[in-house]
Amino acid sequence: MSIMSLSLAVMQAPDPDHEVVTQFEQVMLVGLVFVIMFGLGAGLTPRDFMSALRRPWGLIIGWVTQFAIMPFLAFLLVLGLILQLPAEFAAPLALGALLMGSVPAGTTSNIFTFFSKGNLGLSLMMTTNSTLWALVMTPLALVLYGTRFMPGDLDLQIPIDNIIVTLVILLVPVAAAMVVRRYSPNIGAVMELMGGAFGLFFIVFLIATWVPRNWILLVGTAWQVYAVAVCLGLFGITISYWIARAIRLHPMNARTIGLETGIQNGPLAIAIILLSFPDSPQLGLLLLVPALYSLFIVIVATVVTIYFRRANLAEEQNIPNLL
Amino acid sequence: MSELVWLEHYPPGTEPEIGEVPYRNLPDLLRQAAARYTDTIAFTHCMPNGMNGSLRYGDVERLSDDFAVYLREVVGLEQGDRVAVQMPNCLSYPVVAFGILKAGCVLVNTNPLYTASEMTHQFKDSGARALVIIDMFADRLPEVLPQTQIETVVTVRISEFLPAVVAGIIRATQRYWSRMVQPITVEHTSLLAALESGRARRKGGSDVEGYLQGIDLDSLAVLQYTGGTTGVSKGAMLSHGNLVSNTLQTLQMCGSAIRPGEETVLTALPLYHVFAFTVNLIGFYYMGARNILIPSPRPPSNLKRAFENYQITWITGVNTLFNALLHERWFLEYPPKYLRASAAGGMALHHSVAEHWREVTGTPIVEGYGLTESSPALTFNPLGGTVKDGTIGMPVPSTEVRCVDEDGNPMPPGEPGELIARGPQIMQGYWQQPEETQETLKDGWLHTGDIAEMDEMGYFTIVDRKKDMILVSGFNVYPNEVEERIAELPSVIEAGVVGVPNSKTGETVRAYVVAEDPPPSEAEIIAHCREHLTAYKVPRSVTFVDELPKSPIGKILRKELRGAVATVPADVGDPEPGAASGSVGV
Repeated sequence: MSIMSLSLAVMQAPDPDHEVVTQFEQVMLVGLVFVIMFGLGAGLTPRDFMSALRRPWGLIIGWVTQFAIMPFLAFLLVLGLILQLPAEFAAPLALGALLMGSVPAGTTSNIFTFFSKGNLGLSLMMTTNSTLWALVMTPLALVLYGTRFMPGDLDLQIPIDNIIVTLVILLVPVAAAMVVRRYSPNIGAVMELMGGAFGLFFIVFLIATWVPRNWILLVGTAWQVYAVAVCLGLFGITISYWIARAIRLHPMNARTIGLETGIQNGPLAIAIILLSFPDSPQLGLLLLVPALYSLFIVIVATVVTIYFRRANLAEEQNIPNLL
Repeated sequence: MSELVWLEHYPPGTEPEIGEVPYRNLPDLLRQAAARYTDTIAFTHCMPNGMNGSLRYGDVERLSDDFAVYLREVVGLEQGDRVAVQMPNCLSYPVVAFGILKAGCVLVNTNPLYTASEMTHQFKDSGARALVIIDMFADRLPEVLPQTQIETVVTVRISEFLPAVVAGIIRATQRYWSRMVQPITVEHTSLLAALESGRARRKGGSDVEGYLQGIDLDSLAVLQYTGGTTGVSKGAMLSHGNLVSNTLQTLQMCGSAIRPGEETVLTALPLYHVFAFTVNLIGFYYMGARNILIPSPRPPSNLKRAFENYQITWITGVNTLFNALLHERWFLEYPPKYLRASAAGGMALHHSVAEHWREVTGTPIVEGYGLTESSPALTFNPLGGTVKDGTIGMPVPSTEVRCVDEDGNPMPPGEPGELIARGPQIMQGYWQQPEETQETLKDGWLHTGDIAEMDEMGYFTIVDRKKDMILVSGFNVYPNEVEERIAELPSVIEAGVVGVPNSKTGETVRAYVVAEDPPPSEAEIIAHCREHLTAYKVPRSVTFVDELPKSPIGKILRKELRGAVATVPADVGDPEPGAASGSVGV
């Protein structure tokens, strides 16, 4: 799987074989995600999921923000920024951006939810839910907003195996950890701590390794593309957070919905592009927004998480856990 | 004893008298329980994240023997020497407390959150020769020790007796992450080393039982400090007989609701407090139950893992705890499935809270009443009989309770008077305070300072503390009544009501309110009170606060609220009572 196969092939000089992440690192990252998800799962019981189902508002709002707001936000950003660029660049860039707005939430969102003391049960349900819905909703959103940018003969491929891998990496360790914790709360609690520590390492690792390696890419890109990549995540989190607050969800759930919505499954978007446009001469441009997004979302989410921890936890001291 | 009308209403199976106590002293009772339940889990320590460790009855018995030997033979303490204990709920607590009692020494329970000056007062006053303290709070010792007679300090870690890996993680977190544990600069022995040396001696043939030669039911067992309302804290002298009797008395009121060897009780109240000490540490231990020890029940989400991981059948708590749980979504959606009953004490259980609790859990909750000076239980609603909400129930067996007027004449049913009580659980007096003792204990009757009334069935209702009464234009206002009214508003979490000096009426009523977001307006609260209360009882002003000052078990400290009023004149502005709060609860 490939949070990492950000084979940022890509770009100005498309070179689809250029590996940004080595094989060893890929294996390590998959292992890390597995351990992290195991740790997150160790803090949960079936009740956490049933709670989310019993009050489905969080899930419903999450679905709406995920598949209605995010694609529309991507569309607005395309209209406002990307279309300023010369037409031959604009179309593939726009398509990449729209796709980035239309894919479901990624595993990373669960890790950030954990760190911002959100509702992890809800977070995992939302990721699962949106990943399954993506089979229908992602193509639908693309047709709705992106027809004018698509080549006429496009055959959009949603990689089922990628979807399955996402779900497996999400659900298997979580389920296993819940079983372990049931039989030994001590092992569960230790795994949970370790998951947190590895999660922190994971985030630091992504930021520390990706930025220097992709320096050339970063320097040679138009500011509009940057703006789209950063704003998609940042606005996505902010808008959906405030929508959730506005309908008076508990701040904990609002944080969860914000992070779930804004943090997209970048690798999935990249895989869809690689599968659907294997021979396109514009592959590099198509991949540019998803690649930049994947890079910046880690930074954006880290900043947001720090903000959430500061602002909200203070506020919650006075809010009983009832809403 | 024709006045003991309640005896007619005792449920079947509850004896009017506990009769002759079949134990020589408290350790005798503990030993018999340990012999009966050797392989049963006695205590489980549950951290907020679910990390845990347990001791079986056999372990507790063996380790507390080791500690007794350590105190007597390694430290060289004598019978009757005082040993102060200062720690939150953890596995070390029963080991240390039982060890002290088995050594024939006197246990001095001390709130771990005490400031250096409070510690100094209590250690000096009790004349403690040894101190067992949690390492987190040992940083106050350099200041405290030189002013006391303490010669020996034993330090305890919160992680004691937990599995090694878990204990290591907890210690590392405390030391390097939360920086809660500072290096200890005074001379001390770790609990594990103390137990080690005690064990070595015991193997060499120490006569542990011999330490109790001459220790009988009349011997002093515990100095339980209480502030009362008079300010300086004083030690209630509780004898072995007081504590054993009260254990048996309280159990009589529970009928068959406590099944021997089968209960799991949530112990979220601190064991150094008399309620949890007698009911959970001794009472439930005696019944072969498993105590789930919670080091810190605040915030209430700290209890989530305990409820998820253990099949809790009993909860003892105070109004604040029950109320807090009823404001937690995880608790409301998944109330404990195996719960059988809950007992409330320490402060008035609000009618609304009791009703909501029954509705949510589907199990009974009963309120009892008592004082530190009465070990503590004086009255309880009988679990097998009629439960009357809002009352403190009927006197426990072997106990006489009366409401009397200023001259000591009993009041007829329905008339309020000061509650006085007599029974085998009444303390021996205040430690080295003959005058205070004389004022409180008259002819064997404990004068509680609480105003109460009795109904025809012999159920008592506390009207209020004598000293908390507010006098508005010559009318008595009881804060409890006003607080309960305010708490009826759904967005109100809790309220504290005190009197504010007023030049026209003497005093006026002021309410301090903790509310949910969005809070009700001051006008709404006053309007609600006006609807249900006579005009003079209605608060003249309402102050919204983040929290109310509370005692370690969560009792609202009106004294501190009054103190906050006193520091700022009533018409200048509202002070923050939270700032006056010294105790945060462990």
